[in-house]
Amino acid sequence: MTIVTPLVGPGPNAGPTRRGLLAAASATTALALLPRRASAAAPLGPVAEAEAVIAFGHIGPISDGGWTATHHHGMLAAKRAFPKAKFLEVESIPVSADATRTFRQFVENGANLVFVTSEYGDLLSSVADDAADVGFLECNGHRTSDNQGWYYIQHWRVSYIIGVAAARMSKSGKLGFVGSFPVPAVYSCANAFLLGARSIRPDATAQVILINSWFDPQAASQAANALIQNGIDMIYTNLDDASCLQVAAKAGIKCATWNTDMRASGPEAYVTSLLLDWDRFYVAQIAARLSGSWSGGGRTILPVGGGVDRDAWGASVPAETAALADAVRRRILGGWNPIQGEIKDADGKVRVAKGAAMDEMACYGWNWPVEGVSGLRSA
Amino acid sequence: MRTYTVQRVPSVSGRVRTGATLLSCLASVLAAGLLLALLGLHPAALGLQVLHQSLANRYGLEDLALLAAPLAMCGLSVSLMLRVGLWNIGADGQFFVGAAGAAWIGLYGPSWSTLPMLALMGAASMTAGAAWIAVPALARLILGTSEIITTLLLNFVARLGIDWLVTGPWRDRASSVTAQSPRLPVAIPKLPRDWHLGGMHWGLAVVLALACVLALAFRFTRWGYELRICGANRNAASYAGMAVNRRLLEAMLLAGAVAGLGGMLELAGTVHRLQSGLSNGYGYVGIIVAVLAASSPLGVVVTGVLMALVLNAGTVLQTQGVPSSAAVALVGLILLSAAVGERLANYRLQRIPPAPRPGQAA
Amino acid sequence: MARTELLIRPLVQLSGITKSFYGVRANQSVDFSLAGGEIHALLGENGAGKSTLMNVLTGLYQPDSGCIAIEGHARRIDSPAAAIEAGIGMVHQHFKLVSAFTVAENIHLGWNETPFRAPAALLEARTAALSRRFGLAVRPSARVGEISAGEQQRVEILRVLARGARILILDEPTAVLTPPEVAILFAALRAFRAQGNAVILISHKLGEVLEIADRVTVMRAGRSIETCAAQGASRASLARLIMGDTSLPPMQESGRAVADDAAVRIELRGVTVRDHRGIALLDNVDLQVRAGEVLGVAGVAGNGQRALSEILTGNLRPDSGTVLLDGQAVAHPTPRRFARHGIGHIPEDRLRTALAADLSLAENAVLREYDRSPVARGPLFVPGRARALAVRIIDDAQLDRRDPSLPARNLSGGNQQRLVAQREARIADRVLVAAYPTRGLDIGAVASLHAAMHRLCARGIGVVLISEEIEELLDHADRIAVLFAGRIAGILPASDAESERLGLLMSGQALVPDAPDRDPGRAA
Repeated sequence: MTIVTPLVGPGPNAGPTRRGLLAAASATTALALLPRRASAAAPLGPVAEAEAVIAFGHIGPISDGGWTATHHHGMLAAKRAFPKAKFLEVESIPVSADATRTFRQFVENGANLVFVTSEYGDLLSSVADDAADVGFLECNGHRTSDNQGWYYIQHWRVSYIIGVAAARMSKSGKLGFVGSFPVPAVYSCANAFLLGARSIRPDATAQVILINSWFDPQAASQAANALIQNGIDMIYTNLDDASCLQVAAKAGIKCATWNTDMRASGPEAYVTSLLLDWDRFYVAQIAARLSGSWSGGGRTILPVGGGVDRDAWGASVPAETAALADAVRRRILGGWNPIQGEIKDADGKVRVAKGAAMDEMACYGWNWPVEGVSGLRSA
Repeated sequence: MRTYTVQRVPSVSGRVRTGATLLSCLASVLAAGLLLALLGLHPAALGLQVLHQSLANRYGLEDLALLAAPLAMCGLSVSLMLRVGLWNIGADGQFFVGAAGAAWIGLYGPSWSTLPMLALMGAASMTAGAAWIAVPALARLILGTSEIITTLLLNFVARLGIDWLVTGPWRDRASSVTAQSPRLPVAIPKLPRDWHLGGMHWGLAVVLALACVLALAFRFTRWGYELRICGANRNAASYAGMAVNRRLLEAMLLAGAVAGLGGMLELAGTVHRLQSGLSNGYGYVGIIVAVLAASSPLGVVVTGVLMALVLNAGTVLQTQGVPSSAAVALVGLILLSAAVGERLANYRLQRIPPAPRPGQAA
Repeated sequence: MARTELLIRPLVQLSGITKSFYGVRANQSVDFSLAGGEIHALLGENGAGKSTLMNVLTGLYQPDSGCIAIEGHARRIDSPAAAIEAGIGMVHQHFKLVSAFTVAENIHLGWNETPFRAPAALLEARTAALSRRFGLAVRPSARVGEISAGEQQRVEILRVLARGARILILDEPTAVLTPPEVAILFAALRAFRAQGNAVILISHKLGEVLEIADRVTVMRAGRSIETCAAQGASRASLARLIMGDTSLPPMQESGRAVADDAAVRIELRGVTVRDHRGIALLDNVDLQVRAGEVLGVAGVAGNGQRALSEILTGNLRPDSGTVLLDGQAVAHPTPRRFARHGIGHIPEDRLRTALAADLSLAENAVLREYDRSPVARGPLFVPGRARALAVRIIDDAQLDRRDPSLPARNLSGGNQQRLVAQREARIADRVLVAAYPTRGLDIGAVASLHAAMHRLCARGIGVVLISEEIEELLDHADRIAVLFAGRIAGILPASDAESERLGLLMSGQALVPDAPDRDPGRAA
């Protein structure tokens, strides 16, 4: 069993924890890749469970069946673990000044720990800086302070595994990727996907279409159709909905998705999905906050098997292909970094020398396409 | 037996109109309470919570003012064009483009001290906003193209343009994260703390001053009178020798400039980075703000604050466990009632006398 | 026809109708009966309660008390639909047609007998059949926006008759018609009457009423004053009933010869105006307006009157030719420049052009003087002074509603016209151009308008009176210019003019031996 393991645990690893669940933390796949940046911040004081207020702010609706649904799942797990605590949850918070107002409402309602499940940047930090007694954790965030940290998942490594399988599932070697915005999460996802595919089939290419939204089924369908017309027969998407999978099923090609098990939307086309699991991370962070061991400055990337993983392979994936991809997965679980040089960017420039590997922070901030990826530009 | 019929009254006094609006808002708040009770919540407690958190929390009125300011700016923009009988559906786009103009100066312009810098950003935002509406304005005046369609469509162009800027040339490379520009080096100073507006910035004063200036201009200048006539009957305006097309163009360009300035205030006062979430539909809400205010500039300030209160109430309700869909529906219910109430003021119930010989009635 | 029997059991009987608006009694115990086979004229000044009564009959208003009987049966008419069902149809003074639709489409709009699948050919065939059946000539495929006012009115009437109306209510039907069109309308009404149907005719034109009506009911101040047979009544007797005790202002003399050396206020020299299709609206017009004269402009509507009034007031620029104000050629005429020069303008369509109906009386009253002292002070507009000026204009115009903050829409048509006339007379230091100023006015208002006109003349102001009513021109003008097809067919001193000669000039026969029929719709 793999367990949530913060790369650098400010809270849960800092002291003895209350719950047995957490005793197992750091057991298997501890990847101490990110050194703490600042000198250790002082932990926030303990809170009795009955008086604790934990807040969750989501970017999308909890019923999206995707990204926000997985975080909602994590919140429900935390609720079960701390039945006496009060939980606040607000969904569909726009990335605008409205977000600031919502986060302030959390503070105003006495929140002790606030999870923000997407990046809001200044909109969050301006509130955090004004509320030193409240802990803030920002998913996909970048800023740390005495009471603020961030967390994310090592999704590029799972994308690499999916890429390995995709190289086998595609007849033409022409892969497609439907993404949202030209942001690092999309670069790293599409890049690792193609790197995985090229490890099997060096002539594979990946064409990327961005739809400027995380949830827009119509635009996603159009993008998938456009890719199919270009002769692409394997699509990977990190959008929140299953419309790419549905289009793929209709066109008789293959598709891999993100967030949750979506095979019901197109069992024939389904290859796998990148699954997210925040349950143990949330429980651990809340436990730390209650016990008085939580402090800001945490930078956590949940590893493969500890918050992010592939879904069970789809019915149409041959056993041999699954075995090939799973062999790679096992190496990754064993600590191997698949993002290895030599890596050229789309312009042919060598970005990672042979023998070198891209570290996690580099992957987290990836902003150039690798050779063979079209549709993304070097930022 | 008494029967009643509904009759339309050609004109009603402002007092009746305002009364009807308030009454229907009250009715919708009661209906909202009923809905909340059906959801198993305590409407009275929630109501108090909403009022307390909107008006008396530790941030004072800051949240209210922060939201009311952009809504009022967009409302002023829409009401300017309503004065001449035109619809500005594009305040949202002008807001974005104005913010982009200001961001351009802020990020790549001269490095002056704060005040001249802000003035320059303001000028840039107004120019950009006016330029953005110039095409619909000219199309309207020369070709007769409906400004409703053109201004609306340009919103999408503006929004996508901002997306492109903040994910492309203007993206923040330092954090290289989501789609946003670097933080602007200058910000609008905050209001004094003892004004109990929390961290609200001086942009609020700009909004109020602008509303007053427009109100005075509408009422006490020949220009304002001409706008009014142009809005009510363009034939009469040109019959009276007014330069109708010129007035329409002025109103439209000014509307664009005001919405653009609104974008600049939001950018330099509240958000500090150009990003596609800068306006959360403020331009569209501004239409409601302007219509509810009957396009009076001072009224726009009042309805802007009320609208901010209602929208904030939606946020507060969500933190209290009301599902976001229900909160949005409640906000929509209140806005709808306010709009309908104003219309309903034009109708009254009238008793129909019974027919004298009902047996013979066909 | 057994007239007596019909009178015993009238087609429509209104008994004791009372209707108040905010405490104002618009109708007070009004009795009114309409027999089958009669044309019944309803007379009264503006605000006498005629429209209210008709709105009660057509289901727009519910009476506070009183009842309606149709063919002897009490009937509740609580909606316009119920009125149509009861066989009552009304044609309003302002047509309610969709101008982008064809005649056939307008007739079939909102009619439950319209076939579900309605190809244009079918609708047009049905319309043509209706047109023949009721003797009202219309062109089914023509767009309403492109046909004459007379034809539009026939479409309105057909619309009503097609829905089975037996009782036709016409509000000021002849206000927009040319004399030949009036004749066509009256012929159709007589045919309609001959079938046992009835017509209620609201009109201010007593001559017409005496010509066509069988009976006349006069209303005053919300009450029905008298119902009498048209035979035996005279214009004078009807006018006395309508006005009550108030006496008419004394008639001014007309046909005064204006001295040849009187100053020329406005002069047109060879003015030609073309519309966007290049058709000449005014064709090489020479005209002089002298100080102190009433220059009448006669002609059938649509022969260039609108263009002429717009040229005279700076609203149009001539395509060729010159406009001179007090002898000075105006290079770039604008309405503002003409207004500043002292030229007032009562346009032919006051609601469309001269008033902003949604704005207050005060805002409308100062429309001409908002840019000068005392209302304006530099670029500023002083609302207090505007209001004071408006109150004065409203008082001078003797409007029946005097609250300056009231929307202009709330005024009756006649009061709107008074407001415009008073406003324009104030700025007319040199010339007043009045297009059809008495259209829709009641007798009292017409008389006071004419009196005001002559007062202006006495002050040395030139008045241009554009009218279709030869009588009005003969009574009030000093000289009469006749417009035909955009040209001045002749200018006569009023003292020499006779109706026949004017009629010939108006029909173009004095110019062209065999005038072609310009409007096929009038052929019927």
